[in-house]
Amino acid sequence: MSAHVASTGIGRFGRRPEALVDLVAEAGAIALEGIGRKTVDYLVVGTMAAGDLGGVDNLVPRVAERLGLEGAQGVRAEAASASGAAAFHVAHAIVASRAADRVLVVAGEKMTDHPTAEIARTLARSLAPSEQAVGATMPALAALVAQRYLDQHGLEPTAFDAVSVAARSAAARNDRAQFQDPVSLADVAASRPVALPLRLLHCSSVSDGAAALVLEHGEGPAGVLGVGQGFDSVMLVDRPDLASFRATRSAARRAYEMAGLTRKDLRFAELHDAFAPFAVIDLEDIGVCGAGEGARWFSSGDTGPSGRFPVNVSGGLLGRGHPVGASGLVQIAEVARQLRGEAGAMQLDPTPRVGLAQSIGGLATHNFVTILGGETGP
Amino acid sequence: MTDPRTLLVARCQSCHSRFLPRPGACPRCGAANVSPIAIPPEGVVLAAVELLAPSTGWPSPHRLALVQLADSIRVLALADRTPPLGAHVVVERDGETYRIAPVA
Repeated sequence: MSAHVASTGIGRFGRRPEALVDLVAEAGAIALEGIGRKTVDYLVVGTMAAGDLGGVDNLVPRVAERLGLEGAQGVRAEAASASGAAAFHVAHAIVASRAADRVLVVAGEKMTDHPTAEIARTLARSLAPSEQAVGATMPALAALVAQRYLDQHGLEPTAFDAVSVAARSAAARNDRAQFQDPVSLADVAASRPVALPLRLLHCSSVSDGAAALVLEHGEGPAGVLGVGQGFDSVMLVDRPDLASFRATRSAARRAYEMAGLTRKDLRFAELHDAFAPFAVIDLEDIGVCGAGEGARWFSSGDTGPSGRFPVNVSGGLLGRGHPVGASGLVQIAEVARQLRGEAGAMQLDPTPRVGLAQSIGGLATHNFVTILGGETGP
Repeated sequence: MTDPRTLLVARCQSCHSRFLPRPGACPRCGAANVSPIAIPPEGVVLAAVELLAPSTGWPSPHRLALVQLADSIRVLALADRTPPLGAHVVVERDGETYRIAPVA
């Protein structure tokens, strides 16, 4: 281990009046306070659609200026809805190579100024041109994935409902989450159809928000043990199996190899649940359970905060809100907060030693897995 | 002239993969020598969606179907009605898009 998360900064997610740069600077300032304003050498900014949704580009010098980092260097990272994770992976490469010893990573998105149909079109730009040409959107393709999953495993459409209930229950303990009220299984089943089997409460929300962390050379309880990425076909129709994401499996394999760990060494995870079925697929793809078993882990409480493998203790994308560029980084920051014993009302007991964050970019075309933990392992 | 009862797809001369036509090289092996090949337009519906929150410029509901054609080729096709899973359908190419042909 040569790099560790020294501090984190997470702003409130939801509908925010501030501009993107304000949100990112707010989170960044919290993270910088956390290290006593020590000098930061490098700034990595993650956003997916700053120009199209936030009305701003050329973010790095703007954020540097706002945070008094004019002596630093920096770069922006983009990997669709995993942009925040991409920013972290870039920062890790920079620290691991000793090009810089202390990096501020910030990521955010500003979405709520736009009507839903426009958001759908903007997010669909990460899909293949031939899919955009037939009006495909993220929820439409996620619904096809969900149907294939249900069909292959012989499950009922309500199989994913427990994921949403768990996410909203967790978010109620996260004062930065967009949704503060729990929902019941009946609420999920009664929510309006978006693209069946997906209903409204199976889908993450349009949201504003930002997160930050400081990654520095050295050791700590939130050390970077393993990182990995994976790709999959941009055209969904090229994939022989839609009930599992190759991009996650590749990313997880690389991260486990680098860490010298297996999934048995993990205590908890933050998984990308932009749509409830994705959390089920993610749990299988990181190897915690077998194909077709994931939904039962959620409905039985095994993924609850006191279950055998807690998932999305912070509410996940479903409960926290999904400002697309921010999500990948806030997931890693929440893992770090657990390991550092800083998670407040969400803190797992006992304080965990190893955790994993998994992020999906696009329709699972560019996924990221990050394993954090202490030097001595589990 | 293209036979209306066939669909033109692409075949890689190098690794023999078949896939929907697209710009550039073979997505599997990167070889540049890709040639067109005709396959039957009939397929089976693997999944179908009725999207009630469509993107800008599309009607609600907006219907799409994932159709399994021959040679492991799949298409995402526009549909006028939501076909049941497993339904046998005929797919037409309409410019850059695919559409499930109306039942005669």
